[in-house]
Amino acid sequence: MSRGFSWRKVSTEAQLLLVGIPVLLWTLIPVYHLLLFAISQRDSATSGRLWPADPTLQNFGIVLGQKHFYLTHFWVQIGNSLLIAVATGLITLFVATCAAFAISRLKLRGGRTVLNLALITYFIPAAFLAVPMYKTMANYGLLNNRWSMILAMVTIAAPYCIWVLKQASDKLPWELDEAARIDGASPLQLFRLVYVPLMVPSLVAVGTYALLLAWNEYLYGFLLLSKENEIPLAVALGNFLSADDSPWELLMATGFIYALPPAAIYYAFKRYMVSGLTAGAVKS
Amino acid sequence: MASVSFRNIQKAFGKVKVIHGISFDIADGEFVVLVGPSGCGKSTLLRMLAGLEEISGGEILVDDRVVNDLESKDRDIAMVFQSYALYPHMTVRENMAFSLKLRKADARATAERVATAARILNLDALLDRFPRELSGGQRQRVAMGRAIVRDPKVFLFDEPLSNLDAKLRVAMRAEIKALHQRLKTTTVYVTHDQIEAMTMADRIVVMHDGIVEQIGTPLQLFDHPSNLFVAQFIGSPAMNVFKGTLRRGDGTCRVEAQGIAWPLTEREGGREGQPVHYGIRPGDISLVAPGEGIAAKVVVVEPTGAETELVLDVGGERLIVVLHGRTEVQPEQTVGLRIDAAKAHLFDEGSGQRID
Repeated sequence: MSRGFSWRKVSTEAQLLLVGIPVLLWTLIPVYHLLLFAISQRDSATSGRLWPADPTLQNFGIVLGQKHFYLTHFWVQIGNSLLIAVATGLITLFVATCAAFAISRLKLRGGRTVLNLALITYFIPAAFLAVPMYKTMANYGLLNNRWSMILAMVTIAAPYCIWVLKQASDKLPWELDEAARIDGASPLQLFRLVYVPLMVPSLVAVGTYALLLAWNEYLYGFLLLSKENEIPLAVALGNFLSADDSPWELLMATGFIYALPPAAIYYAFKRYMVSGLTAGAVKS
Repeated sequence: MASVSFRNIQKAFGKVKVIHGISFDIADGEFVVLVGPSGCGKSTLLRMLAGLEEISGGEILVDDRVVNDLESKDRDIAMVFQSYALYPHMTVRENMAFSLKLRKADARATAERVATAARILNLDALLDRFPRELSGGQRQRVAMGRAIVRDPKVFLFDEPLSNLDAKLRVAMRAEIKALHQRLKTTTVYVTHDQIEAMTMADRIVVMHDGIVEQIGTPLQLFDHPSNLFVAQFIGSPAMNVFKGTLRRGDGTCRVEAQGIAWPLTEREGGREGQPVHYGIRPGDISLVAPGEGIAAKVVVVEPTGAETELVLDVGGERLIVVLHGRTEVQPEQTVGLRIDAAKAHLFDEGSGQRID
């Protein structure tokens, strides 16, 4: 080709932009509002300006210093969020990896059934399970214990993770398992020395998915945990709205801080997220 | 090193039987090639020996010990796969040392054995590379190195050269053969390529549809194929075969096909008028002056340098002739053919069995 330019290409680009720009704006406007409120003075937050007349970081100072009635447990609560998210990520990862290995590589009897059951759980929205889950946790005496939230989130995240990891496992060549078996590897050695190292991209993707799911969860935290020093930050943020006169600027500043870790994690692992979560999506 | 015996081996996948009772022995240090078309069961047989596939019936013995119920790792065999099956996340060194590491071998001894294998296979410079950084031929050598390091009783090769280009395949063929001559380890090698089988094997096992058609040295199979399948499978270009009728009166033997009398030496088997297949290899036919011998029309001339391959038309049937050296003949020309009657093969039409 003498030139890399054609009207057809331009038209395709234009169409993509026509869809892409509104979607981008749609996504960014709430974030913009979040930031706008977070850096505004209390009285000018709702003034309707596109940029505050005197932007300030004072709100962040109040949040980080726990200097407000709603924020007295800020650090404990963000710690709770972190603990719940990381524990959910790790436990889900362990459960899902073992399940996927057993189903995909060891061809365990009944593996297909487990997989189908995992798929069926997707027909039931997580919110429908909230009350039964509450009852179950009560039966085990776990209410008001962060483990209840962790276990609930593992339950919700695991089926999808098993499904994704099973699909990714199926793409590893069989000969590797056979070579390892001939080389003298037991199933456990195969798992540890061959399977897990080769699955790292998918494991990172799936672990991040479970972690973010738990980090972002509100409903289950709200139901299962109620003590000020046990609730995750998401629930604490909801409590801001319990009064008539909510400190919006502090709510938004806290929200902004709360949104940073997921953004950082996603950014750090974005290369795995795309390849990992779509792995096994199509037969290649 | 070890001997291997197959005793009435059978294999079924569900209700489909793919191997119907195979028995043969492999001597200590022998290089045996299993050859046959796709789906003949050769790879399945090898995988049963490796312990990767359940044995449905019969027994496999390694060194006179039944290994049917032994795990792969306890059979003391090493296998080279068509796809190499190198561990992508390990360096060449780690790949080769993997089996010894699993056996918790002494680190110094392991390093020594890896170094020796690497020297034999010319992999010294590549030991710290990852498989993705190697060419196809190098990967194949690493796969062989992984097998050598173990010093197993038996080497198994499952179509190891199929993923290589033609030139490299010839080079690796020689390398594997040299390796066997050096190590003298019992080797079972599976391929669908009869040239690989002919060039490498001490003995060839020709398989077809789950049975053994013939077992023998390469030249035995070439000179005395015991049935039509082996006759047509072994040799390149393939043997010319015509359907005809056996005529044996007046003390001579010949086959009538396409209105031509094809010469044969006298033989005991076969009766007058029996429907037969007449076979003659392309190299056992020579050109004579037009008018003499059997008349044929030249269709295609394919010079390859050292040899010339002619495609001829004889009474409406295609016939291939391979001449050593060059020839002046041109397409559309008529030539005479002389057949080396002593080299002609005769097979029963119904059973395909050789008639001697």
